[in-house]
Amino acid sequence: MTNILEAAFAILIFPGGLFALALGLLLKGVDRKFYARLQRRVGPPLIQPALDIIKLCTKETMIPDSANATAFQLAPMLGLTGVLVTAAVMPIGGVWSGVTGLGDLLILLYLLPIPAMAMMLAGGASSSPYGSLGFSREMCLMFAYEMPLIASFLAVAVRVGGADGSALSLDAIMSYQYLHGPLLLDPVMLPAVLALLMFIPGTMASGLFDIPEAEPEVLEGPLLEYSGPLLAVFNLMSAVKLTVVLQLAVALICPNPIGGSVVVNLAWHVFKCLTLLLVSVTCFRAATGRLRLDQGFSFFVKYTSPLALVSLGLAVMLR
Amino acid sequence: MLKFMSKLAPRSPWIYRINAGSCNGCDVEMATAALIPRYDVERLGCKYCGSPRHADVVLISGPLTMRVRDRVLRVYDEIPHPKVTVGIGVCPVSGGCFRESYSVEADISRYIPLDVIVPGCPPRPQAIIDGIVKAVDVLRNRIEEGVCSRS
Repeated sequence: MTNILEAAFAILIFPGGLFALALGLLLKGVDRKFYARLQRRVGPPLIQPALDIIKLCTKETMIPDSANATAFQLAPMLGLTGVLVTAAVMPIGGVWSGVTGLGDLLILLYLLPIPAMAMMLAGGASSSPYGSLGFSREMCLMFAYEMPLIASFLAVAVRVGGADGSALSLDAIMSYQYLHGPLLLDPVMLPAVLALLMFIPGTMASGLFDIPEAEPEVLEGPLLEYSGPLLAVFNLMSAVKLTVVLQLAVALICPNPIGGSVVVNLAWHVFKCLTLLLVSVTCFRAATGRLRLDQGFSFFVKYTSPLALVSLGLAVMLR
Repeated sequence: MLKFMSKLAPRSPWIYRINAGSCNGCDVEMATAALIPRYDVERLGCKYCGSPRHADVVLISGPLTMRVRDRVLRVYDEIPHPKVTVGIGVCPVSGGCFRESYSVEADISRYIPLDVIVPGCPPRPQAIIDGIVKAVDVLRNRIEEGVCSRS
């Protein structure tokens, strides 16, 4: 019973639910503000993503006649639920160690593609040709960026597991780093860390990989037909997805807390997420243009996956 | 709560552009107002969106040629309420230099209510941004009243 209550708290309030939503909207706001400052513009206020959500809630919802209405309305809900559950699993160094028995790399491999799946469902259900184009682009890109993700998960697991085999639970990975220092500073893991940093813009579809929702090419792809509150749910989903991905990267490469107090550790964690966001999403997005789908695909296959595999090979040899 | 929401909502006007047979001059100025660092519409919370379904403020340029008329009306109908229309340049109002052409339908306001008009051939980016600010005021009233204007 307590376990169920604990899980419900984790999914609805902290670290999923309200906390993840607030952090996600803040991260999105910082992203837009910093992007504008990089271009010497004033930029929108930090709370702009929250304002967008409020605005969308006052708008009319339109469902195309030819769309599959059930799937069309279910897709955003499915995506948001999926990312909120994923956010509940994320441990925060020195604050929260995850719901017992759930923080596991294999579970994450199943949970992380849910938002992409929701996008595909949305694109397919909207009956618009641009939606279908976005669908196929999203799926193609997903196959490409899942490979380095799996490889770097394996590299981390083997490195942490050492002689005993591999450690798949996030708990074990975190406590290993508390003992031996963050994997970010481990020379063996450096290629995998780089691969993970490339995975973040890939899964967030930004910068080079803004392919599935490319506004000038496929008119925002799967989101083309969405309006009003349903679009707001998609925006929330993408905000929580951003927190989930950043928190995952923080947990895998530098979860170490700094102080004894929970508040200090939480602030430190948010600071790490922000730094990661500025490096791997905002600056990356400001410095690069969009690739073609085939170029994006081969980028992950040619450069990112081998990086993660190098780490995996080194970790296996040094165990 | 609803009142609070209607106060905050106009701070996020998303912009959609319709080219109703324009000579591209106004479109270049609109792109300038949006895309270069010198003129920043994003500070108003604006975002250019690719889909009419996401739009709040519609910028229409061009004299509404007969060939695009039905398409423009169709796209305009796809925009969810509440929405505000801004005519960019003199073309949407009078047809501009195309005004006595056999293929031109201006004035657009016979088909679509224009809430704000930004005259000029083409108007300066500052004027376009000023037009967007006025459109945001109209949007605020419209959200507060829950008024819908349908063509």
